[in-house]
Amino acid sequence: MKNQLLHIFRNTPFGREIFLQTIYFCKTTGLHLKVYVPTHPQFLMYFANEVVTVDLDKPFFRSSETAREHAKELIRAAGVDASFLEPKGFSASILPDIPVDFGVMTCPRVISGVSSKLHLGHIGPNVRTIIKNAEFPVLIPTPIYKEWRRIIVFFGGSANKIKALLYGIHLQLLSGNPMMLFTYAENKPKAYYEQILEEHNVLSGIKSGGVEWLFVEKGHFKEALYDVPPDGLMIAGAYGHGLIKEVLFGDLMEEMHAMLPNNVVIVGPHYRED
Amino acid sequence: MEKEEDPDAPMSLHISSLPRRLLSKLDERLQLIIVAAVVGVAAGYASVLMNLGLDLAEHVLGPLRTYWYAPFFPACGAALSIFFMRNLIKDLGGHGVPEVIYSISKRGGLIRLRSSFSHIIGCLLTLGSGGSAGPEAPVVISGGSIGSNMASKLYLKERQRVQIVGCGAAAAIAAIFNAPVTGIAFALEAVLGEWTVINVVPIAIASILGTEVSRALQGNQIPFQHRAFHVTNLDLTACLGLAFLTAVSSVILLRLLSYINSKSAGWVAPRWLRAALGGGLVGGIGLLVPYVLGEGYPCIRSVISAQYPPGLILAGMSVLAKILATALTLGSGGIGGIFAPCLVIGSLTGLFYQRGLTVLLPQIPWAGESYFGLLGMAGVTSSVIQAPMTGIFLIMEITGGYDVLVSVALVSVLSATLSHFFEPFSVYHAELIERGDLLRPRTDARVLSELSVMELLERDCHVVHPDMRLREFAHIVETSHRKYFPVEDSRDGRFQGMIHLDDIRPYLFDQGLYDSVLVEEIMNRQMVSVSPEDELPDILRKFDETHSWSLPVVQNGRFLGLISKATLLDHYRKELVAQEAE
Repeated sequence: MKNQLLHIFRNTPFGREIFLQTIYFCKTTGLHLKVYVPTHPQFLMYFANEVVTVDLDKPFFRSSETAREHAKELIRAAGVDASFLEPKGFSASILPDIPVDFGVMTCPRVISGVSSKLHLGHIGPNVRTIIKNAEFPVLIPTPIYKEWRRIIVFFGGSANKIKALLYGIHLQLLSGNPMMLFTYAENKPKAYYEQILEEHNVLSGIKSGGVEWLFVEKGHFKEALYDVPPDGLMIAGAYGHGLIKEVLFGDLMEEMHAMLPNNVVIVGPHYRED
Repeated sequence: MEKEEDPDAPMSLHISSLPRRLLSKLDERLQLIIVAAVVGVAAGYASVLMNLGLDLAEHVLGPLRTYWYAPFFPACGAALSIFFMRNLIKDLGGHGVPEVIYSISKRGGLIRLRSSFSHIIGCLLTLGSGGSAGPEAPVVISGGSIGSNMASKLYLKERQRVQIVGCGAAAAIAAIFNAPVTGIAFALEAVLGEWTVINVVPIAIASILGTEVSRALQGNQIPFQHRAFHVTNLDLTACLGLAFLTAVSSVILLRLLSYINSKSAGWVAPRWLRAALGGGLVGGIGLLVPYVLGEGYPCIRSVISAQYPPGLILAGMSVLAKILATALTLGSGGIGGIFAPCLVIGSLTGLFYQRGLTVLLPQIPWAGESYFGLLGMAGVTSSVIQAPMTGIFLIMEITGGYDVLVSVALVSVLSATLSHFFEPFSVYHAELIERGDLLRPRTDARVLSELSVMELLERDCHVVHPDMRLREFAHIVETSHRKYFPVEDSRDGRFQGMIHLDDIRPYLFDQGLYDSVLVEEIMNRQMVSVSPEDELPDILRKFDETHSWSLPVVQNGRFLGLISKATLLDHYRKELVAQEAE
């Protein structure tokens, strides 16, 4: 099911905006849209080494009878290839298991009601856990529908960022949109990053493909974000660090999310290429 | 942008990864033994906590049980447990043991971390307030969850994780009943479903350590010690009748539980209200027959020590009251297990049977109420969980003697066999089997569950189009080794149907038709297809129904490839060999 995108439908006006973003993503990349309309307040995702419980806030499973109709209307209007997901496995009678072998999953910043009042840019614990465990990237759209015209890969040189770059290239091939690299140098010369790209056999492709590389060597990271084009789909690698490190150093993923108006695809530490 | 570790780097220098790295240097069996020991100790502590909590609840609420408002205790407890599970801890699982079996059966032993404590607290609220249930299911899921999460953190293999979950379950049962052999039997018989040497060693270690933790903190107590029995051949013969009666009690319990469960699930009312109503009714029954409340150990003690109030009818009514109370508690959503109620129902069934025998044949010196009570416990437990070895060892260990082994084994085995005739599945397995979620080791379904459609997919197919002329198609047939040819719409690429060589053989030998016949005229549009999401047992069924050797795999109207019976069986054999090797 790597050619499918999973969307958990939230039957609210904001949920519609998120759904429109998903539809746009599918239309642009040609992925099949798989829509899950929740009927229970929780579902489980069994990843390779951890089972993740996703607690849904009430709007997700409110008026499930109209939710399916709303989703169908939007799908019909957009003309995308879509189907509804009917869970087959149940860990308990009211606890459905959702498959985890999708190509991408759309998540709003927060899924659970507990974190719904948190500050701008905050990424909820459920979404974080999914990102941390999933073999697929997670699309976190902006709250209001916004189209994107290019792909901006946040490339920092680590293993996860290479995964983000490879996914960016994959998405570029699927969508036909131009790609751009953004690197915040952190006291390292450009040659260092070029060498990493060379090691992964992508440097020549990037150079010959006319990929624009925004290489920021000076100033604070937050200031550098001002130069990121607002019409791009950001692709960033996710953390692999724990809570203590996050509290001490802050979370760059959230910083980016709070400061940029772009849709974001987060490529987690367990992302696997086909 | 660089504040992150590489999760793929196995040698990252983190304190948390130190045990993992040390463990990875050891032999796999040694790894299992070490982790099993740690899990055994942890599960032992969880069981002790449960026991202490129940003691505290009894200490606080016990003296108040005779007051008029006592029926409200189980109602409030059940409602609170539901509120706690659903709203605070958000654990929407069931009673515990089926979840553990499901995780082993279908999810590689993965269990949520929150289940390591949520069920214990939920059960304390249900049971401590007087609900009729047992403490063992919550400690089993707690032990299983501890094992599962520890195995995951240590990056053990899936097969090892499954064994460690079994270790957690074994240690929990061993600790809660002070019965190490029962823990082993339960894990192998009811949870893992297979007795293998590689399973026995770590499970035995976990079970023993769980018991030792319990003994160290609570003392080595035999819960239901009895005096020696003088058993005659007549008593042994009477066991046959008792086996029948315990089977009847078990079937009534299982059916009533299922009935109340389905009625409760169909009632459009908040879950806490359903549980509260069930709890309230149990409280009402408790006013008339106080022994039905809680885990019911005082009831068993009074039967074993031959101090239960006299009367045949009273004994019979007590059996029915306990069955009803248990079905109401668990069927309405209360959190708890069924072991302890089975022991109570069994002891009362044995008591009723002995009193009946005494009334019918007063001239015979029967072995006594405690003897039949003890056998009844074995009979009902074995029948309800369909695990006779567990039932036999449990009774042996919690009563502290092997002098009635023959009688206990006889009643256990006969009762389990008789009840199996009416209720073929145990209380733990029934729902899983109904959902097709019970995949026992070394069964076809388990082997097939390890395979997926996508890994069996044959992609080297020659795709043809409906507007293709027969001449062109005949040329493709010449160069292909395949017998099946998928047809796709040349404009939108959607799957249209299939052509099998047998279907077109007559046309191939008539070259006059080569330029006048199109593929769309000869293709089979009614071809049965499968989806990548289909389960392999369902696909095998489709092969049988259609008498086909290959079926197209179609997703969202697009042809992905073919799946053939030969490839499926070849992969099945390889998977079977791999599983046997493990």
